[in-house]
Amino acid sequence: MKLVIGWLYPQLMSTYGDRGNIITLQKRCWWRGIDAQVLSLDVGFKESEIEKCDLLFMGGAQDTQQKIVSEDLKNKSKVLLKLISAGLPGLYICGAYQFLGNYYKEADETKIQGLGILDLYTENPGLKHPRLIGNIIFDPKIQGEFGMQKIIGFENHGGRTYLGKNVKPFGFVIKGFGNNGEDETEGAIYKNTFGSYLHGPILPKNPEFADYLIKASLERKYNKKIKLKKIDGEMEQKARKTVAKGLNIDL
Amino acid sequence: MNLILIYLGKILSKLINLLSLGSGATWPGHIALNLNPNFIKENIRNSKAKIILVAGTNGKTTTSSLIQSILLENGKTVFRNTSGANLLNGIASSIVLNSNVLGKLDHDYAIFEVDENTLPLTLKEFTPDYLVLLNLFRDQLDRYGEINTISLKWKNAISSLPKSTKLVLNANDPQIAFLGVERNSLYFGLNEKGAKSIPSSADSVFCPNCNSALNFSDVYFSHIGKFKCSKCSYKTPQLNISEAPYYPVTGSYNKFNILAAVLVSQDLGFSEQEIKNGLVNFKPAFGRQEEILKNGKKVKIFLSKNPTSLNESLRTIRNAKTLLLVLNDRIPDGRDVSWIWDVDFENLLKSYKVIISGDRAYDLGIRLKYADFNKVRVIESLSNAVRFALRETKEKETLHILPTYSAMLEVRKILTGRKIQ
Repeated sequence: MKLVIGWLYPQLMSTYGDRGNIITLQKRCWWRGIDAQVLSLDVGFKESEIEKCDLLFMGGAQDTQQKIVSEDLKNKSKVLLKLISAGLPGLYICGAYQFLGNYYKEADETKIQGLGILDLYTENPGLKHPRLIGNIIFDPKIQGEFGMQKIIGFENHGGRTYLGKNVKPFGFVIKGFGNNGEDETEGAIYKNTFGSYLHGPILPKNPEFADYLIKASLERKYNKKIKLKKIDGEMEQKARKTVAKGLNIDL
Repeated sequence: MNLILIYLGKILSKLINLLSLGSGATWPGHIALNLNPNFIKENIRNSKAKIILVAGTNGKTTTSSLIQSILLENGKTVFRNTSGANLLNGIASSIVLNSNVLGKLDHDYAIFEVDENTLPLTLKEFTPDYLVLLNLFRDQLDRYGEINTISLKWKNAISSLPKSTKLVLNANDPQIAFLGVERNSLYFGLNEKGAKSIPSSADSVFCPNCNSALNFSDVYFSHIGKFKCSKCSYKTPQLNISEAPYYPVTGSYNKFNILAAVLVSQDLGFSEQEIKNGLVNFKPAFGRQEEILKNGKKVKIFLSKNPTSLNESLRTIRNAKTLLLVLNDRIPDGRDVSWIWDVDFENLLKSYKVIISGDRAYDLGIRLKYADFNKVRVIESLSNAVRFALRETKEKETLHILPTYSAMLEVRKILTGRKIQ
């Protein structure tokens, strides 16, 4: 089996170790004999390239980088909308998650238009309000082949995201802030697209979620049920316990 | 008033040391600043010491130590803030501890290292004679924010400095070199062959002047190299220095620290021989390629606190046989350990015996599992890990330890039985 993982803007949108998500997806495929290739989609990429992808990933970035990317994305909104609406699986972290929404309002009230693909918006309440920073645990609203444990990561964002009616939260916060620190939601799900604030990066310590994305991509591509081989997760379990213990949560 | 604060601080510091309470390097200054917010300003104004201020993500302590070594070797009197105590309270503490019985600072030189957020605050307190800026890399994003934000804050703070302050800048870091445009600045940098392309974890790949992509012709590490903007005329500035008379510490990142120290010393009027004497007699700072002898075996500690510093440590210790990596996530380390995924373990980690420890040892374990290092030994207790690693190190071999900041302090304590003050 083959899987093409499209990495959107690897040069620009990879500030918080997010390339760990790509490494995790690719290695978990390789370890199972699935030929996973990573296709870099940098500024100026062609529509034909993104259409080859079976799974998309995009990470967060600094403001300058985000501005350059948002210029480039303006021309890509149609194809992205088409692919995401057709159920192409994807994971979008932090800045990328915010991009998919309707708009981002900066601390100085400047409104930056989003791609409008996910029914959500983000506002930065200003410098007087602290950034939402720290370890986080949330309860995801999906089921994986090997069950689905609580999701663990690290969040660091100034923007507060609010979900509209046409998206579901990825999950509900047990400890931490999540989308906005108010309504206990974290992330968003629309068809097979996942948005989340979790760094860490999210996939290495939450292998069931990584496998969920791989399975969804393969099943969609080959149009049949796929059974993934189990991979030992002892190290992951111990790393998860360390974070949970620090937050006084029993896993 | 300040005299009382100085006496109070000195007594407090003695008590803290006596009772082994720790933080003796910041409390006296913390209290002095609380009782007199102008404590730093007033004391520095009354001192004739020339002031050298050092900032940057990596290399502050080594560069400050190098300058200090050159000054001391040539008969000058110098005082510094303690490494790690690089906020305003650390500067105030160093003033408390180094003032004489009359409450005066009678040293020839003061060297202060400050962290990224503290630099603008420090420049409001006093005007340094030299401002040495080393580099900006992603580091503790949870605490410092993104490097574009920091460089903007620095630019604003520097713009109000008088001409009498000499900027000493890294010509090979695009963000740092740009701070010297429109000012008379001194530049240090390398003039040698480097790699042809920048690694994926590089931070400053866009022109600070016009935001277009930068083209790099020689890359020394991360985004440090010879660059030229693809659109405007911004490029690596003319170097004032590219070679030092002696290199007391290894690694290409240390070449920059050494060049910065030599450039400041040259500008202060020291001769090549005087500078060389200072470099030859230089002893590395705590945990920065520091060597400790334990049970007849040599231990070398390389503080490794962000992707660039860990990459460069790994590059420098290529011939190592036994390696202990320690990852903590306390406040001085940064609570977010995501950065380990930006480290190029895949290409830099050789066939060492690898032992892992620290608060987040298992996160590092996962990272190495994904870099296909399966024979990694994870030992949660740091003292057990150090003991095990020493046993694994053969006679005449060196045990290399790469810890984050708080882990480095712990490792030293385990090896020497003492805390750093």
